[in-house]
Amino acid sequence: MSDSGTSQQADEAAGSAGGSPPRGRDLRTALMQPDGWRLERRLEVRPTYELYATVIALAITAVLIGLLVLLVGVSPFDAFSSLYEGAFGDRESALETLVQSTPLILTGLAAAVAFRAGVWNIGGQGQFIAGAIGTFFVYDMFPGLPAPLLIVAMLVGAAVFGAIWATVASVLLVRYNTNEILTTVMLNFVIDYFLSWLLSGVWQASNTPYSQTERMAENTYLPRFFDDSRLHWGFAIALIAAAFVHFMMRRTSMGFEFRAIGVNKRAASYKGINTAVSIVAVMAVSGALAGLAGAGELLGLHHRINFEFGEQQIGFTGIIIALVARLHPVGVIAVAIAFAGLVNGATQMQISTGIPAALVTVIEGVALVLVLVAAVACRYRLRRGAVHADESAEGSE
Amino acid sequence: MDTTPVTAPGNDILVAEEVTKVFPGVIANDAVNLNVRRGEIHCLLGENGAGKTTLADILYGVYRPDDGRVLLNGEPLDLHSPRDAIEAGIGMVHQHFELVPPMSVIENVVIGTGAKQWLDLSEARRRLEEFFADYDVEIDPDAEVGRLSVGEQQWVEIFKTLYFGVEILILDEPTAVLTPQGVDELFRILRQMRDEGLTIILITHKLREVIALSDRVTVLRRGEVVGTVNTADVEQRDLARMMVGRDVLMQADKAQHDTGEVVLKIDDIHLASDTGRGSLKGLSLDVRGGEILGIAGVSGNGQNALFDAVVGVRHPEQGTIRIADADTTHAPPHKVALQGVASVPGDRIAQGLMMDFSVKENLILGNQRARRFARAGVLNRAEIDRFADESIEHFEIKTPSASQTTSTLSGGNLQKIIMARELSGEPRLIIVHQPTRGLDIAASEYVRRRLIEERDRGVAVLLMSEDLDEIFQLSDRIAVIYDGRIDYVAEPEATSLEEIGLYMAGVVEAAGAAP
Repeated sequence: MSDSGTSQQADEAAGSAGGSPPRGRDLRTALMQPDGWRLERRLEVRPTYELYATVIALAITAVLIGLLVLLVGVSPFDAFSSLYEGAFGDRESALETLVQSTPLILTGLAAAVAFRAGVWNIGGQGQFIAGAIGTFFVYDMFPGLPAPLLIVAMLVGAAVFGAIWATVASVLLVRYNTNEILTTVMLNFVIDYFLSWLLSGVWQASNTPYSQTERMAENTYLPRFFDDSRLHWGFAIALIAAAFVHFMMRRTSMGFEFRAIGVNKRAASYKGINTAVSIVAVMAVSGALAGLAGAGELLGLHHRINFEFGEQQIGFTGIIIALVARLHPVGVIAVAIAFAGLVNGATQMQISTGIPAALVTVIEGVALVLVLVAAVACRYRLRRGAVHADESAEGSE
Repeated sequence: MDTTPVTAPGNDILVAEEVTKVFPGVIANDAVNLNVRRGEIHCLLGENGAGKTTLADILYGVYRPDDGRVLLNGEPLDLHSPRDAIEAGIGMVHQHFELVPPMSVIENVVIGTGAKQWLDLSEARRRLEEFFADYDVEIDPDAEVGRLSVGEQQWVEIFKTLYFGVEILILDEPTAVLTPQGVDELFRILRQMRDEGLTIILITHKLREVIALSDRVTVLRRGEVVGTVNTADVEQRDLARMMVGRDVLMQADKAQHDTGEVVLKIDDIHLASDTGRGSLKGLSLDVRGGEILGIAGVSGNGQNALFDAVVGVRHPEQGTIRIADADTTHAPPHKVALQGVASVPGDRIAQGLMMDFSVKENLILGNQRARRFARAGVLNRAEIDRFADESIEHFEIKTPSASQTTSTLSGGNLQKIIMARELSGEPRLIIVHQPTRGLDIAASEYVRRRLIEERDRGVAVLLMSEDLDEIFQLSDRIAVIYDGRIDYVAEPEATSLEEIGLYMAGVVEAAGAAP
């Protein structure tokens, strides 16, 4: 049975006859349809197209948000400039933006790694919490360790706890074929309540009615880069993690396999890639990254876990960041900093223009939708008049 | 050769004038002229990608031509959809059937016959029974279509089209799913229909069918009409030359030589499939080094399960598979590959390639942990580049660079990537499924030549194909797979197309066949 249906026939034709030169006939066709626009699929989508499309999508986001602001009766210029001032206007706010971006980079990477492998880890939030729990667990278990060793041990503990929490979902997936989107989301709730239990029970600080842990000893604080800013080593860890992820995905056998199962799981298994092992491994890496985000927040900023610890929904924002960044590690850094800037600048905007800081959520949502649309749109191009057997068929016989 | 009917000259029923259709990157039909006469069987002959199906889809209203026009009985025809075509009296049976499997034959036939308030099946039943009686076809009108054989489903599809009262019937590669006997049966009935006044347009790339059936033939190459000829005036060789644009080797060169040890030994394996179709039910075979064992069979008789079992994607519930001295019955794919097994899957895009990866990444797919390409888990990019350049040159893969995205390449080049990857490890067993499906003649010749080279090198080759010509050309021994078993093995000289066909159809039981 030969496999040319109607559309395949076109594809096949596109594949094998690309060399024939355009003829006079096409010119006539073009003259007959002077205004005929057509949408056609690109044979190849270059990475630069994707970049342009993303930039254009973000520009449209700005315009739409501007219109929204205008509707409330505020000048978009004022709104955006106060937003910018608050985010990057001076040294202090710029550094604070980097502080805010630190966990977002890590949870963004966590989502990007898993999504690249076609595993839909929506549990970054839960793994973030698990990371914080792991950090405090190590702190609690080994009080005698010298500071540098303790910090390393706590970071490892965070990564391991995050990985374990992700593994619960991945094992269910490979063993019983449960949908990982559902299990990871549900596990977010489980760990939330587990944390509540810890905070009101074994880990609750003495002499306080609040659900919170003791304040951690000062020798567990992640060192800060500057005296006048909260920017801590966690940011460096996040950048190193991004470099690690990039290297792993592009340059290692394991990353090759992760990408392979993301592109075509069936062919991957035919070529001997153990997809179950790869899924468990990639989820572990993903969970470890989210777990590190939890450690960074705990050791760099809060120094105790309380019931507000997960309130910023760092894990969920990471998913949006990963998608807006089109799953590229470097893009994740840029988008995470931009999103952190939005959050950071929103307070300033609210004070000087009265626009509620919640607008930030709208911006994030609109940007996400438009970037996803752009990702599809850049696979097509709009052409006028007739089409020629053209340059894009260069790869064919 | 058949009788040529008396067709009055000038009695054109369907005419395409200068029809042009352009798809992104390619002109599928370039100023194509076609004239089909009333009451003839007219073949559209061409290789894959020559533009046959595109032209037929234009005649059937699936596509609108970018330029040119179609005339029916001398009147310009403006089709916006297949519905328009059917109303104008033109019907088409596509290669992929458009049937609803859980519904009965009658129900499938009346689907789309118009918006009536009440569904009256008695009229349909009467006509259906009449039709089957006329043409000597035995199908129960109340049978569930999903349970019919592929050949029977084709009959339902054809009758469904005729039920609309069409005058012109277009068939797209109708013989691809049939046994040789099924083809004879189809041709007998098509001739009868023609003699009763139906005009038939048949799309094919098989020369033998053109010669056997058609009155006239229009040959297409790269979207252009090479010519239209009376079938009685030409031979297969002439048509082949028109189709390809040069002389074609009708036989592959294959030297006789000795075979070696048994490399693959399959003993009584059972493997159930989820759907029940295509299960293995006690299949045994062996392949020796230096021989090509060709497995003929209608698709759905266990070929996929056999492929999966040998490469280790699925494991038999019963029986054993041995490769050389190792028992690989339950070995996972990467362990099987370590035994020196190369595999070329039937669906190269779904099973063989990462379409979003670069060419070089696909060339090392499966070997990403091999010592040659990775140290301590880190890919050796210099070595991968070197290997990719070597493979591209050696296997004549046409790509702008090794970093090109694989999805931009043509089918022939995709298959060459797989061949390059699979043959690079100097395998001792190669299992190939449908190796030339969808490829043009040049690429097919290339793939077949490579397989023969490997066989001459002493490799055991297990070839599964639905193309019987290919099986006969390449095989040292031919086996027939039917309903998950192999009960007939013969040397090509000792058997015939007809005999193979009987076993493919399951007509002949295993009695006395050579093991």
